[in-house]
Amino acid sequence: MEKVIEITNLTKVYPNGRGIRDINLDIYRGDIFGFLGPNGAGKTTAMKVMTGLIRPGSGDVKIFGYSITAEYEQAMAEVGTIIEIAEYYPYLSAFDNLKQLARYYAKVDYKRIDEVLELTGMLKYKQEKPRKFSLGMKQRLGLAAAILSRPKVIILDEPLNGLDVEGMIDMRNLIKQLAEQDKTTFFISSHLIHDVELTCNRIGVVYDGRLLNVDSTQNILCNYATLENYFVSEVERNGRVPSCSR
Amino acid sequence: MAVFQAALVNEIEKLYKKKKALVAVILTLAIIVIGQLVIVGVRSGFGVRGVGSVEFSMLVLSVVINTILPLFTALIVIDSFSGEFAANSMRITLTRPVSRFKLFSAKLTAVAVFILTALMLLLIFSLLAGFLFNANSASLGDVARIVVAYLMSLLPLFVLALGIALAANILRSGISVFFLAVLGFIVFQGLGMFFTRYSGLLITTELSWYNLWLASTLPLGKIIREFLIMVGYAIILFTAGFYLFDKKEF
Repeated sequence: MEKVIEITNLTKVYPNGRGIRDINLDIYRGDIFGFLGPNGAGKTTAMKVMTGLIRPGSGDVKIFGYSITAEYEQAMAEVGTIIEIAEYYPYLSAFDNLKQLARYYAKVDYKRIDEVLELTGMLKYKQEKPRKFSLGMKQRLGLAAAILSRPKVIILDEPLNGLDVEGMIDMRNLIKQLAEQDKTTFFISSHLIHDVELTCNRIGVVYDGRLLNVDSTQNILCNYATLENYFVSEVERNGRVPSCSR
Repeated sequence: MAVFQAALVNEIEKLYKKKKALVAVILTLAIIVIGQLVIVGVRSGFGVRGVGSVEFSMLVLSVVINTILPLFTALIVIDSFSGEFAANSMRITLTRPVSRFKLFSAKLTAVAVFILTALMLLLIFSLLAGFLFNANSASLGDVARIVVAYLMSLLPLFVLALGIALAANILRSGISVFFLAVLGFIVFQGLGMFFTRYSGLLITTELSWYNLWLASTLPLGKIIREFLIMVGYAIILFTAGFYLFDKKEF
């Protein structure tokens, strides 16, 4: 299988001692990888390093063989992303916000902008400015921005934040559709165990800045009743928290 | 180059759509109207000639280059850097296939485009006002010298913008950057007055270097020396600003 993301000995420790330590992980084409961990476990830090927003203390991330630190433009050429919350320029319309991003890709035209707005249910708001949008609408616009360039890899940090039930289902279906039809690879972080279980086909558990284990959802659910049981067991096995399942 | 071009078009579009740059240009042009009203008032009230056609353009430049142009340049640079840091919108571009070097360069080039546009509009409207209201004979050579003086004013203003961009990458708050820029400007102006021997080294003094281009015989030695001082400042400020921008965590 084609290796899409290669994370090697990735470490980033903040002055307060938090961060990530020695993470090694390979993501393959077509994976919907769930990066599961509680708040403050280091998920966002890892994703920020993966997208070049912060520099690693040591180690490296390669996307399609290109180092994020040394060959940034090539590494990000096929990547779409939302980190923390979807950002936008409040003084530009939804369409103009996407037009700004479209200029970085030769193959993206205005038709494609309308297409992604339609896919995310935002077409009717295309001329409105996002400052008037609800959190869910902003998140949908963020997703439209992430898939705009038809990227081969999409990195989403807590993509369901602010979405209602309908929005969550739409988002999940869209992720699955892109993974099946276009073989798009997803790297999704979430603290919502149930959602990760429903969406992802491979899962990595991160806790206290360390990656505890990686396994396929199928394997996990063969051995554990729920993903939550697996998560608690993994965390417990590594001796970091007292059991909360008993 | 295509990536830099895309980043530059985006930055210019943002400047235009935010309307701040547009307001800055309009207010700059208002100086011409006020200046012209003063000249007409002085002429009709006191019978003093005031200024001739091309002299009016130089009067306008001498006023705006030390007042509102540096002020609006500072506001545009602060908005482009500190404003986007604070709103987290820098992430929008930083997670796209564009290097930080290209983005930093594009932002500063957009600022240069803004300064040049403001200068050119000032030149055109001040010349028009000069010819309409203060008509007297002016040779083509006089006009050419004024055009060169306006064009040359871009360089010191751009160096000033680089200094403010550096400050915006050091300090967190845009307000702090603004006050530091204003304070620094006043202090440098004061130093230039008290230490006239060394004033040539201060960027605030260089703002008046357009005067060198108005002489009938160009003082080439002085022009080259001041040009090199400004290029030196530009290289240092750009490098320091980019170093901090590149290390920034978002």
